Amino acid sequence: MNRKDHGGPPVSRNGEEPAGLLGTPPAPADFALRVLQRVGVPRERYDTYVRLDSPTGGLFVAFAPENVTGSALVTPGLTAERFEESHRARTGRSAIPTPKPFPGLTTALRTGRAGKLPLDPGPLDGATAAVLQAVRAIPAGQLRPLSWVAREASARTGADTDAVVGMLARNPFVVLVPCHRVTYENGAPCDAAYLPAVGDALRAAEGIDMAGVRQWSHSGAVFLGSDTTHIYCHPTCAHARRITPPHRVPFATARDARRAGYRACKSCRPVSV
Amino acid sequence: MDNAAEQLTDLLAADLDDGFTELVRVHAKSVHAFLLRVSGSAAEADDLGQDTFLRAYTALRDYGPERRRALHPRAWLMTIAANVWRNHVRSSTRRPVSAIRVDDAQDNWPDVTPGPAERALNTDDRGRLVAALSELPEYYRIPVVLRHVVGMSYAEVAQVQDCPVGTAKAQVSRGMGDLRRLLGTEGELREVTS
Repeated sequence: MNRKDHGGPPVSRNGEEPAGLLGTPPAPADFALRVLQRVGVPRERYDTYVRLDSPTGGLFVAFAPENVTGSALVTPGLTAERFEESHRARTGRSAIPTPKPFPGLTTALRTGRAGKLPLDPGPLDGATAAVLQAVRAIPAGQLRPLSWVAREASARTGADTDAVVGMLARNPFVVLVPCHRVTYENGAPCDAAYLPAVGDALRAAEGIDMAGVRQWSHSGAVFLGSDTTHIYCHPTCAHARRITPPHRVPFATARDARRAGYRACKSCRPVSV
Repeated sequence: MDNAAEQLTDLLAADLDDGFTELVRVHAKSVHAFLLRVSGSAAEADDLGQDTFLRAYTALRDYGPERRRALHPRAWLMTIAANVWRNHVRSSTRRPVSAIRVDDAQDNWPDVTPGPAERALNTDDRGRLVAALSELPEYYRIPVVLRHVVGMSYAEVAQVQDCPVGTAKAQVSRGMGDLRRLLGTEGELREVTS
């Protein structure tokens, strides 16, 4: 087996030719999953994940049989491999690609109503879980300030707003726990877990009128009351939005509203009621 | 990578199901890639890949923790995959399943006519390279694919082939030489395009 054709021009292509042209061919999406099913590893021992479309592009969502265990937005830096690794590092569970999304997940993403989706906080501490739970209660298309989130969660935690920002920044369920609906006290979006453009796109997809919100906060008003019912709300609350312009009464603080004889809305809870 | 491999063996030693899931997550793609390039057929790569992992799991179940910890997961899996492939070639030559299989076996696995999906996937150059690869004799094809598709080191290739490192290098080199010659016979177009 003596071969003399080792020299010559083709050698110059040696390194790049097969590795470059043959590369790693793509395996079928559910290859790994079928391996595990065939071998008989119990389904509870691993998570599966899908890549879905969200208003801002791709979204990886990992889930166990009973609940969703994590999500991350697809960015140029976050490939499927990186998502699998970070999921493993955070939860200690392997994420295997699957073509079939968690029941109800696609609908939740389409409508923005992910409040009923069972989420597994996994290794999160109690305070963060409580904050995320509070954020989940913000309805689609509405905004709440950080102080509201801190207060709603405080029954269990007593966290202040700075701590809440930190917890939101580590939100492991981006989009599904809608932290893009949280604002600072002055009405500016908080977007701790997102790039600014992503937060804007998510809010635009829910039909939140950010120009209107900015106008409101510039005028110094924080709450919106109705002089027919004498109830005041957060301005994006569904009940506030149906007050007709002649009946709108802006308030800068809850105390002003109370002094004027208004009570707090029981849906959006501007103060604890 | 080295660190990850160590963690993987530790996981396998600690808990078989958990470790095996991680093993599948990390290595399923390269096992599939290896079998696809060696067999030239997506359906076969799929079947044999399933077989490979089933064998791996069965073997791991009988290994003790020390033995699991001492594994080099990727090289070990590729050894199994290569054996599964060799067994498959042998048994399908001896016991052809259908008329198509007979033709295939006689032609020494040409598979030069990939399906429409594969043809769409492969650009012209890549398609020709894949076709040439499937014309290589099997004992060169495996080391070439291991080295240049899966991207293993010569030490790992040698481990899979169960031979000294020098032999592995020679096999890859000869395989590459053959491949070059196969592509060369297709004419001067290659030189123009590259």
